[in-house]
Order: sequence, then C-alpha cells, then structure tokens
Amino acid sequence: MLMSAISLPEQFRFLEPFAAVWGDLHSQDERYLKRQSLSYGELEAFHSALAPKLEEVFSYLDGFDATALPEAEARLYRTVLGLTEASQAVEVFGQARVPYAPYPHSVKMEWVGYQPH
Amino acid sequence: MADPIDIKSHMTKAADLGLSNGQVPVEYYTSPEIYAREQAMIFRRAWLMVGRVEEVPGPGDFIVRDLPTLDARVIITHGKDGVIRAFHNACSHRGVALVCQERGNSLTFRCPYHAWIYGIDGSLRAVPSEQDFPHVDKAKNGLAPIHLDTWNGFVFLNFADAPEVTLKEFLAGLDTMLDGAPFDQFPFYLQVTDEIDCNWKNLVNAFNEGYHVAILHQKTLRPAVIPKENPYLHYLDIKHFGPHSAGTVQRNFDYDPDAPTLRWVYAQMLPTSAPDKQAIAEGRAGFYEHPGINRLKIPNFGTETITIFPNISIQPLANGYLFYQFWPLSHNRMRTEVRIYGRHAPKNLREEFAMANTLAATRDVVVEDMAMSRLQQIGLQSGGKKVQNFGENEPLLRMFTRDYEAYLAGGGFAPRHVEAAE
Repeated sequence: MLMSAISLPEQFRFLEPFAAVWGDLHSQDERYLKRQSLSYGELEAFHSALAPKLEEVFSYLDGFDATALPEAEARLYRTVLGLTEASQAVEVFGQARVPYAPYPHSVKMEWVGYQPH
Repeated sequence: MADPIDIKSHMTKAADLGLSNGQVPVEYYTSPEIYAREQAMIFRRAWLMVGRVEEVPGPGDFIVRDLPTLDARVIITHGKDGVIRAFHNACSHRGVALVCQERGNSLTFRCPYHAWIYGIDGSLRAVPSEQDFPHVDKAKNGLAPIHLDTWNGFVFLNFADAPEVTLKEFLAGLDTMLDGAPFDQFPFYLQVTDEIDCNWKNLVNAFNEGYHVAILHQKTLRPAVIPKENPYLHYLDIKHFGPHSAGTVQRNFDYDPDAPTLRWVYAQMLPTSAPDKQAIAEGRAGFYEHPGINRLKIPNFGTETITIFPNISIQPLANGYLFYQFWPLSHNRMRTEVRIYGRHAPKNLREEFAMANTLAATRDVVVEDMAMSRLQQIGLQSGGKKVQNFGENEPLLRMFTRDYEAYLAGGGFAPRHVEAAE
C-alpha cells in the first residue's frame, strides 16, 4: 500500500488504512461510487472502526476553522465523510449496493450556495 | 387503546373519486409516438415549475435552467425593476446560447460570438457594426420571452404562444389550500439528479402511491414511516384540484434509530423527514401549523404528498421539504431532479456531515425507485402485457391517467376548483 504524504492527526492514525481508501475523495458521488466498489466486509470494517468514535473525531475537529482545515484534518474529515456512504451499506441495507440499481451507478449531487468538503 | 381518528375511513379509494379506470394501456409507457404527443399536448401547454424566487433574490441575479423535454434552455432573471422574467437562451443574431454560467449576477448579457449585448430585461442594447443590420429593429429583437408567473415563491413557465389558462386557473384551488405554506422558511437546498432508462410516468406513479413503501423501501423508509395501523401506507384524505392532488401520509412516531451513525446524526441535526417532537409541541414546526396540511390533524402526521401536474411531487416535512421533478427525455429515458430543502446551509462540520448523511439516505431511496422503474420498463417493453393494473388503493394513478388522457386529447384544464367528497 502506498503511504500518502500527509498522514492523519496523531490520535486518529488507527484510521490510516481507511484514509487510504476514502481520504482523497472530494465529492459525494465519488464516495457513493467507492462504496459500490468495496466488499461488504471492507465497509463493515470501516464502519466498526469509525462509527463508535464519531463524537471523538468531531470534538477534535471542533477546534479548527471549518473553512480552513489543515491538510491532515481535512484528510481526516474527508475520510469521516466516507462513513455517510458506508453507514448506508452497513446500517441500512446490509449490503454494499442499493438492490437492483445499475452498477456502477453515478449520481449528480450538488450543494447550492455551499462548498462541501 | 382506541385511536381517536378512524384511519380506515379516511383511506381514499379510487371508487370514492369515481375512478373506474383500473386498467391502463402499456402503450402509454412505451410508444415514441405517444411521447411526441406528450411533448406537444402536455409539456407545451401546462405551466411547468422551474424553481424558486429565492434563486434570483436581487436585481441582476439570474439562473439558467435546462428543460430537456422541450430541448429548452431558459434564462430566469430578476430585473432592476424587480420583475422576474424568463427568456430562451438564444441570441437574436444567429442563435447562440449566450449565457453560459449556471447562475450569476449581471445587468447585461454579452454574446460570446459577435458581442451582441442584452439587458437583464431581455432588451437588445447593442449590435457591433450596427449599420450592417438595417433590417434588425433593436426594439423587436430582444431575447425571446417565455410566459412566467409565480405562486407562493415557486416560479412557473408556460411555453405556449398564448397560455390557455392563467397559473391560478391551472392550479385550480391547490394554490388556495396551500397559500402561505412556509416554503420560504427553507431556502437552502441540495440537488440530486439521476437519469435512467424508463418512462417518466413510472416515477410519477411511484410517488403517487404508498403501497410499495413497505416492500421496495423495506430497508430504507419502512422502519421510519410505516405505522402499525396502516401497513400498506394508504394515502389519507386525498384532495384533488383539476389534475393536481394532495394526500396525507402518516409516519411511524415510534421510530428511534439505534445504529451508531444514524443516532449520532439525529443528535446533530434532524434529517429533513424526522419529526422534531419539541418543535411540534411548541407550535413552531413549519408546515405542521398550516391549515391546508394535515387537515385530519392526525397525531402521527408524516407528510402531505402534493402532486402538481404533470411532473412535480412536493413533500412538506418536519424540517424542510422534498421536491421531485420528473423530466422525460424520450419514451423510455427520463431524468429525476430531487431537491432537499432545509432552513440553512451547514454552520459547522457536524452539520455538514449530518446533511451529507441525509443526502446519501435520500438519494438511496430515490435510487430504489429509479431502479425499480427501470425493471418495470424492461417488463413493459417486453411486449407480453397490454395493460397495467391500478388498484382501488392507487387512486392517484387512475386520476393522473384520466387527466393525462384529457390533455392528450386537447383538454385537461379544470374549469374551476372541484374538491373531493369525503
């Protein structure tokens, strides 16, 4: 596995394997496509590592300016945003993909008047 | 424990509305010729919703909209005089779609081909080397206008040369029932756009019945939505206004998610659809207070599903509303645009995460409907079935079909407001 030049903040290094998967994705559609491409086991491993720690991650991120996150924190946050997709698979469907949907399935998603991470 | 409201008695059946058309030709969903007729007789005659006035809040603000069914590219502008107007995005010289930004603010538009310049009111202001166009009267060669009117902050267009009815006549009383409903309290939105291989009416129909919710949406919506006393999510108290309608839909107020991500999201910012029980108790729950919504005053009110003919579904919810629009691209391909409206943009990373989670959840429900509508199209096109069967518990499918047929035949406009008998 290639190590990214920027690693996660010290106390969240345990998420490094998942940051390699999710940390460089910059849109919800990229995350949706990534979720479809992973096995259920991979999604479950990510979910079980991160979901119980959400409050811990956000308590840490609360200390930063949301509009100017340093790169390590930005990468942490992008990794965490991957959980919005992984949790749909694990907490809702019990499988990676939406049943009967085409694969791969790209959907355009826009935030109007706001720049998401 | 006895329910104070007899839910069953409010489950509007097709027979209650005098709708006996339980079998509908498959051809309506598979024929290119019928699609051409829909373009001409429905989409060029009905008032079509294209957005909200908040999208062009001040003088000089403009947006560009794509109406694929009509191959129309439209500029909507807010003039210096405060008037909101719509134009075809086409230069009077040689037709270039001159406005290339999706949205912006400007008092003039300049064609990038030969620099003809237009005011935000559509007037042609300048023609370089004007002496070479002695036959072009600037006063008569502004951008081509499109009929525009607004209701309750929603912007509608009509592509007929002369609309057969006003917007108010078109809305036929739906406007009166929902006048003042607080859509303007929820100006922020996320948009989901997806295209798929099916007839657009497959999606219209999916949003017009709750029968499928417990089955198709068993993992997504069912736990949060289906109440014990209404397992097939029959729409209640259906009101109809010309071809438009509204029906009351319940929600499962016992739902309390225990999955860790969803539970955390609920603690940050409630999803669009999740009832804010405290706000309801305090009488500040947006749409819940409006007299045209939840007329039955059912305690586990979920949404009023509002259908505006031909291609809109609006669901006012606890913390905003969902807006769906279905655009045919051909007889067997369509585009769904979904907008998730809320009170404000995220104020911090917690709220951004919560909204992204709601975005993913809402999208997955729509993907379920899109996926099933694609399978439906495959089955319909296979050719073995000549009719679809619409049940007594699918009255709005029959109603849509009746009014759709009337439009195709050259009628369709309601002469006046006729409300459903209870």
